Amino acid sequence: MTLTRPDDRPAQMNSGNALELRGITKMFGALAAIADVTLTVRPGERRAVLGSNGAGKTTLFNCITGDFPATSGIIRFFGEDVTAFPPYERIRRGLRRTYQISSLFAGLTVIDNVYLACRGVSRNRYSLLRPRTDDALVHAAEMLVEAVHLTAVRDRLVGELAYGQQRQLEIALAMSGAPRFILFDEPAAGLSPTERRDLVAILTSLPAHIGYIIIEHDMDVALRVVESVTMMHNGRIFKEGRPSEIEEDPEVQELYLGGGHG
Amino acid sequence: MALADQAPTGARINPAAAPGRSWIERIPPGWWIAVVVLLAMPMVANNFWLFQVMGWSFILGMIAVSLTFLAGYGGMVSLLQMSIAGLAGYMVAILGPSGTTSISLGLAWWIALPAAFLVAAIFATLSGALAVRTEGIYTIMITLAIAAAFFYFTRQNYTIFNGYSGFNLVLPPRLFGVNWRDPVPFYYLCLGCAALCYGAVVYISRSPFGLALQGVRDNPRRMAALGFNVTAHRVAAHALASVFASVGGILLVWQNAQIAPGTIGIPAAIDILVVAVIGGLRRPLGAFVGAFIYVILQVFSPDVLGVFGFSAERFKLIIGLGFLAVVLFSPDGVLGLWDRWRARRARRVDPLTGAPR
Amino acid sequence: MDKFARNHPVWALVIALLVAVFLWLVLAPWPAELEAAVGRKRIFLNALLGGITLGALYFLVASGFTLIFGLMRIVNLAHGSLFLLGGYIGYEITTYTGSWLLAFPIVFVVVGLLGLAMQRFVFAHMEGEELRQTLVSIGLSVVLADVMLWYWGGQSYTTLAPAFLRGPVELPLISSINPTSGEAIFIRYPSVRVWILVAAIVIGVAMWLVLNRTSLGMLIRAGVDDREMLAASGVRIQLVFLAVFVFGAGLAGMAGVVGGTFQSLSPGEDTRFLLASLVVVIVGGMGSIVGAAIGAAVIGVTEQMGLVYAPTYSVVFTFLIMAAVLAFRPQGLLGAGR
Repeated sequence: MTLTRPDDRPAQMNSGNALELRGITKMFGALAAIADVTLTVRPGERRAVLGSNGAGKTTLFNCITGDFPATSGIIRFFGEDVTAFPPYERIRRGLRRTYQISSLFAGLTVIDNVYLACRGVSRNRYSLLRPRTDDALVHAAEMLVEAVHLTAVRDRLVGELAYGQQRQLEIALAMSGAPRFILFDEPAAGLSPTERRDLVAILTSLPAHIGYIIIEHDMDVALRVVESVTMMHNGRIFKEGRPSEIEEDPEVQELYLGGGHG
Repeated sequence: MALADQAPTGARINPAAAPGRSWIERIPPGWWIAVVVLLAMPMVANNFWLFQVMGWSFILGMIAVSLTFLAGYGGMVSLLQMSIAGLAGYMVAILGPSGTTSISLGLAWWIALPAAFLVAAIFATLSGALAVRTEGIYTIMITLAIAAAFFYFTRQNYTIFNGYSGFNLVLPPRLFGVNWRDPVPFYYLCLGCAALCYGAVVYISRSPFGLALQGVRDNPRRMAALGFNVTAHRVAAHALASVFASVGGILLVWQNAQIAPGTIGIPAAIDILVVAVIGGLRRPLGAFVGAFIYVILQVFSPDVLGVFGFSAERFKLIIGLGFLAVVLFSPDGVLGLWDRWRARRARRVDPLTGAPR
Repeated sequence: MDKFARNHPVWALVIALLVAVFLWLVLAPWPAELEAAVGRKRIFLNALLGGITLGALYFLVASGFTLIFGLMRIVNLAHGSLFLLGGYIGYEITTYTGSWLLAFPIVFVVVGLLGLAMQRFVFAHMEGEELRQTLVSIGLSVVLADVMLWYWGGQSYTTLAPAFLRGPVELPLISSINPTSGEAIFIRYPSVRVWILVAAIVIGVAMWLVLNRTSLGMLIRAGVDDREMLAASGVRIQLVFLAVFVFGAGLAGMAGVVGGTFQSLSPGEDTRFLLASLVVVIVGGMGSIVGAAIGAAVIGVTEQMGLVYAPTYSVVFTFLIMAAVLAFRPQGLLGAGR
């Protein structure tokens, strides 16, 4: 354990980029899942990462959060080199993510899930005292549950929730505790058209200072909530641009949009 | 993994689950009956029952509840809890007065007791740090190996642990003019400590630390992605659980008035697991239920076995078969059986009239 | 090897030096000053040989344990009971038929069948529930221990080695130099122990060959590395599981016969050998036969050296090795990284 509490530090003044990746490579044995990815995202910028299955999108997320550390390369988060940090240190600095397959605490209630997420980036993670009803974090958790429309099921065990509700809870966990940057991994997968509309509403109503990267196969969702797009193929970036440029790019259309890779 | 099925659930943050009723009113009537029976027991029960049966049940229950805390809430099945309890007991014997005057320092209880808790907690933290280096089923193997090493060490070391013979005449301090080894005071001492340990485990399970521990059990990777240091949390759980085990260990030394390597041998370590599993890892209460069943079997099976012409040693066979039956047919222990029986009975009652169908 | 030397020149040098010192200690006659400081070379060699032989026995028990764990993720805490049961049965067979060698195939079959029953009727029904399987194996070990105590009682048994294995054999290792004649005196060592070592090496090499050179071995190793892939490949994985379990159990039983011959059998030996297996496998790495061999040798030698040179703390050395491995390489010396 470190003596300095990173979560107490004032936000790092920085070079101007929220996220900066330099030559990120991730090897699984002899196989390069992603190779030499260099990417910068400004604070508040919203970007989509598109590409076919196996293009290395989720691996890229795992490298950014440290779930699976990169084999080589440098990651800066708001100017600070976090390459060697364990996941929890990166999270405490304001990075969040959601998982493609809902990664929740099935044995706990909805409100407890969100409360844990708020606790994780606060002090007193090791507190043995139960929170009081007027605890600020309990209140924050209640607000988040409301924001993702789960108030009706707040005391239900997460394992009993419907799929769409679990996806919404997944987003609530990522929005907890003053995030500065969020990685959304296919948040719309498996959602109904109505739920997708709700999702778009949630994403567009995020405070302007929160930037994010979204992996999404549904172009309708992806291109409506971002201002820039990165295309990946076989673990490499091969095109970057604005949504309209990407949509009209013949090469991209050839590879993805026309190719039936929904 | 099976642990997930046995996971205690239903931790609720909101303390005002039933608005308008104070916490006293929310305690179910069954608990009131249990409290009255336990408090009034010395009026009807004989000394053997109070001291041997109930006292030992509470002690085993406290050591087992430290395992329930780790296994049920933290998903870490540790076979070290008996060793930790034993170390605390040894420390009381070594630092305080005992019959082995060449080793025992004879310090006052208010130094010896806190020091015993501290040493046990340090041991638990260090061995916990080793055990959480690996995941899941490795924990059970590593803790078993550490427990064995500690057992052999106490048996071979004569300068600190006095080898084979250990320590005898380890008596509780005479506080408030009471001899705490007399059956009635000892009964209330054990009852009080057990109630505190049980209450602490239940309370902590719904604190931020306890909730996070359950989160670590269910999904460690996600916990890290929420800003929790999973390893540190697991080690902290080992340290915390050592407190409950230490209380049990110290009371055990006082009850037997002695401690020797046999107290912390491998069979004893396994017995703690057996106790916790028979009762049910789902709830802290299971540890005490399991301990009571174990003690009843241990104390009374020789007579029953004798009637059928078996040696008293076959007690182990009964315990082993009973343990197997529980693991095979009711993985959430006796309490799980009880829950299912109540659920079935509730289903048989007509939902409209309340009359049995 | 080359790669290691190039990447870690300092460590390579240190290891080379240690090996050289060790070889000198074993092969050369000791100067008087050294013998005065640490004792006779004969004692050192005896402890070393005793450790290696003990390691051979540990290997026989632990290799089955590690294979079963590696392939099925079952921590079979009844493995020590299989060892002790094998020892008792071996004793009975040797006593009644007078044939020591006959004990091995019979014990292998009987204990193997018990292992088959355990896997087929108990563990297979709770596949994937690792904790429950472990708990069941604990229950089985408690029951087996009491049944064995019931039948064989608390006394200790030693199986008599056959005539052709009795007595010492001279090894080509110099114990000391006769000060008057200047002749080299060679170490004499019980021949039964030498043969146990040889047998363990043969079995170990055979296992390695089966695992690395046959299609069955390929399957098992693939299963150790990635069980889902093996299950998805359409192989009748239950049969592979059963075969490995039977083999591992049978091997533990045969190790019991060996253990009953050069040590003794009594209640509690089951726990002792279970723990030895645990430590060997934690040190060597789960699911690795070579790791088990290295772990067994290290633990065996440490235990014997400790007994001779620091009897009070011999257990502590074993434990410290385990702790160090866990702290710096939690997956074990040769375990797959995860």
